[in-house]
Amino acid sequence: MKLNWKVLLAGLLLVVPLIGVLASGFGRDPRGVSNQLEGKLAPDFTLTTMEGSPVTRSNLTGAPVVLNFWSTWCQPCRVEHPHLQQAAQVYGARGVRFFGVLYNDTPEAARPFLARNGSLFPTLLDPSQRVAIDFGVAGVPETFILHPDGRIVRKFIGPVSFADLSAVLEPLL
Amino acid sequence: MIPLLGRTAVLLALAACAVGLVTGVVAAVRRSPEALRWSRWMAYAFFGASTLATGLMEYALLTHDFSVDYVAEVGSRSTPVWVSIVSLWSSLDGSILLWAFVLGLFMAVFAWSTKGRHPEQTPWALATVHFVGVFFAFLVAGVANPFGLVDPAPADGPGPNPLLQNHILMVVHPPMLYLGYVGMTIPFAMGAAALFAGRLDAAWTRALRRWMLVPWGFLTVGIILGGWWSYEVLGWGGWWAWDPVENASFMPWLTATAFVHSAMVMERKDQLKGWTISLVLATFLLTLLGTFMTRSGVFNSVHSFTQSPIGPVFLGFLGVCLVGSVLLVAARVDAMSPPKEGLAGPASREMAFLGNNLLFAAFTFTVLIGTVYPLLNEAITGKQISVGQPYFDRMSAPIGIGIVFLMGVGPVLPWGRVEGAAALRRLAVPAVSAVVALGLGLLGGQRSGWVLATIALSGFALGATVLEVIEPARARARALGEGLGTAFGQVLVKARRRYGGYIVHVGVLIIAVAHAVATATTEKTTVTLIEGGSTQVGEYALTYLGAESLDEPHRRSLVARFGVSRAGEELGVLAPRLNHYKTMGQPIGTPEVRSGLDEDLYLSLINVDPVARSASVDVLIEPLVWWLWFGGGVMSLGTVVAAWPARRRTAAVVAPAAAAVDGVPS
Repeated sequence: MKLNWKVLLAGLLLVVPLIGVLASGFGRDPRGVSNQLEGKLAPDFTLTTMEGSPVTRSNLTGAPVVLNFWSTWCQPCRVEHPHLQQAAQVYGARGVRFFGVLYNDTPEAARPFLARNGSLFPTLLDPSQRVAIDFGVAGVPETFILHPDGRIVRKFIGPVSFADLSAVLEPLL
Repeated sequence: MIPLLGRTAVLLALAACAVGLVTGVVAAVRRSPEALRWSRWMAYAFFGASTLATGLMEYALLTHDFSVDYVAEVGSRSTPVWVSIVSLWSSLDGSILLWAFVLGLFMAVFAWSTKGRHPEQTPWALATVHFVGVFFAFLVAGVANPFGLVDPAPADGPGPNPLLQNHILMVVHPPMLYLGYVGMTIPFAMGAAALFAGRLDAAWTRALRRWMLVPWGFLTVGIILGGWWSYEVLGWGGWWAWDPVENASFMPWLTATAFVHSAMVMERKDQLKGWTISLVLATFLLTLLGTFMTRSGVFNSVHSFTQSPIGPVFLGFLGVCLVGSVLLVAARVDAMSPPKEGLAGPASREMAFLGNNLLFAAFTFTVLIGTVYPLLNEAITGKQISVGQPYFDRMSAPIGIGIVFLMGVGPVLPWGRVEGAAALRRLAVPAVSAVVALGLGLLGGQRSGWVLATIALSGFALGATVLEVIEPARARARALGEGLGTAFGQVLVKARRRYGGYIVHVGVLIIAVAHAVATATTEKTTVTLIEGGSTQVGEYALTYLGAESLDEPHRRSLVARFGVSRAGEELGVLAPRLNHYKTMGQPIGTPEVRSGLDEDLYLSLINVDPVARSASVDVLIEPLVWWLWFGGGVMSLGTVVAAWPARRRTAAVVAPAAAAVDGVPS
C-alpha cells in the first residue's frame, strides 16, 4: 500500500487545525454575557422579608450569601426547592446566609407554597423588580452565590442542585 | 421499570453493533459469507433494540413517567399530547436516542438491500456503519443516557423549551434533518468501503448515488422547513440568519450536492474518483461537525442544547473520523484512480460540472471559515466576536450566482470535446430567456445589481432546463409518431434520474429568485396604535381592534387583533400574539402572516399596553416569500422522481429506438 503524501498532507493541514480550534472552545461560555457579573461586587439593595424586617446587602458581608430568585408559577423553582432547603439546612448551620427573592409574584401566593413545601430561610419581596433588574435576572430561577466580601462568585441559570451549591460553597468556608 | 427496560435495550443495541463491527471486518478480510451474515443480522438487531428503546421513551413521555430522567427533564403534565411526543427531540439526550433509532432504520434497510450484492464492498460498508453505530449506542448508554432513574420521582416536570412548543412545524423539521444527517452515514460507509476494497465499480457507484440522494432530499426538506419555522415562529420575518447551526446543516448539503454532480462525471467518464469519494466522506464528517456544534455548548445559537459532557466525547469521535478519513483516502485513493486522462475541453459538460464542484467546495469552505472564525479568534486573541450576516451575504452572493449560471450552462453543453461555435449556438434560447427575465425584473421594480443578476441568470438557467426537457420529447414524438404529451411522459419515465434533477433545478431557481427579491425589497416598519386607531403601511390599512388574554394549561397568551385591508379590500383579522410560558421569564411572540403569491404581510407583536389600550407591532411586507416554500416543494418532488427505484423489468425491455432518442441518461 502506497500513501499518497500530497493528499495526506493537504487533508491533515485542513483537519488538524479544525480539531484544535473546536477543542479550544470547551470551557468557553458562548453566552459570555451571563458571566459578566461574576467577580464583581454585587449590587447593593435593601428589601423587606415577607415578615416585614429589612435586609441590606451591604450588611451581609462576613459570610457567603446564597440569593435565589424564584416564583411559585415557575416549575423549575419547584424542582430546586428541596435542594435549596437541604443546602440551607447543611450550610446554614455553617454560617452561610440564604435568601429567596420573590420574582413577579405575590406574598399571598408564596405563603401557602412555603407552608406546604417548607421554608428554612427568609424570602425577600422585590415588588418593582428593581433588584432583579440590578442583578440582570432574565427569568427564574436564577441563583447568585456571594463571597463573604460581597463579590458575586457564581450565577446559576435554571434550577440548582444540592451538589451545584455545595461545589461553590465548600471552598468559601 | 422503564429505566431498566430502556437501558437494557440500549445495551443490547451497543452489543449488536460491536458484534456487527467485528464480524463485518472479519467478513471483509477473510471473505467469509458466514461472518457477513452475522454482520447483517446484527444490523437488524441494532434496529430492533434502538426501536424498542425509542418506543419505551415515547411511552414514558406520553404516560408522564417522571421516574425516567429525561421525562423529568422535559416532560410536563400540562403540555398537549403532540408536545409530549415531540419532546423526544427537544433536548440533548432524547435527540441522541432518536439519532440511534434513525441510524438503526437506515442500517437495516441498507443491510437488507445489499443482500447478495457487491461482495467486495458490502462487508466493509456494514463494518463502517456498525462502527458509527457503536459510537452512538455508546453515547446513549453512557454520557447521554436518557434512561437514568429519578428517585423519588417528581410529580411534574418543566416541559420542553417553549420555542419548541410554539409551532407544529417542530413536529417535522427536526426529524427531517435527522433523516438527512443520519442517512449520510450510509454513503459514508459506502465510500469508505470503496476505499478499503480499493474498487469503485459502476454498480457500487450507482447504489452510492441513490443512497446519497435519499438523505440529501431529507436534508433539503429539513433545511427549508427550518427556514419556514423560523419565519413563522421567531417573529423577525426572516428565514435564514447564517446561525452556526443553520450553517452546520447547509455545509453537508453543499458537499452532498457537489457529489451528486461529480458522481455523474465519475459514472460516465471514470474520472474524479478520489475527489468524489472525498466529497462523500466530507459530507458525513460535516454532519458530525454540525451535531457537535449543536450539542457541545461551544457555539451560541437558537439551536444549542445546554452545555453537556457530550462535547469532548463527540469531538474525540469527530477527530478519529476526520483523521481516519484523511488516512484512508491518502492510502487508497491511488488504488481506485483510473488511468490518467485529462478532462475534455473548456466547453464541455464535465468542465461545467468541475466548475460547479469548485464553487460548491468554495461555498462550503466560506461557510466553514465564517462559522468557526469566532472560535479561532477567541483562541488567539481571547476576545469574543461574532461573524455576522454581512460576511456571509457578501461571500455567498457571487458564489450563488456562479452556481445559478452553471445550472444554465451545464445542461446545454454536451459531454466530451465540442466546437466552441456549436456550444455557443446551444446557448441562444437560454440567452433570450435571460433577457426576458431581466426585463420582468426591471418592470417589477428591482434595481439592485445582485438581484437583477440573479433574476437574469435564473431566467437563463430556466430556459436551458426547459429546452433540455422539451427537446428529447419532441425528438421522440417525431421519431415514433407519438403525441407530444405522451412522448414527454415516456421520456420522463425513461430518464427519471435526469429529469428529476432538472425538476430540482427549477425548484432551486425559484428559491434563488424569491430569496434575492425578498431579501432586497422587504419593507419593515413599527407602528403603535391605540384601540380603534388605524394606520396605512404600503397598500395595507391596519386597524387595532383590541387585545385579549388566553389561558392554556402551559401558557398564557396575549392576542392582539388587527383588522386588515389592502387597497380598500377587506382581508380579515390578523392576530399576532405574545406567549408567556410558565417556565420562561421572557414572552415569546407568535407572528401572524398573511401569505400571497405576490407578497406576505407579516405582523409581529412587540408590546400591548392595557392601560393606554395601545399595541405596538412590527409590520413587514415581504415579496415572494411563499415561493421559497413552493420551490422547496418542487425540489422535493424532483428528488422523489430522481431517487424512485426503477423497476428492474422495464429497464430490461427498453426499445432500442426509444433508447436512442432518450438522449443520455445522466
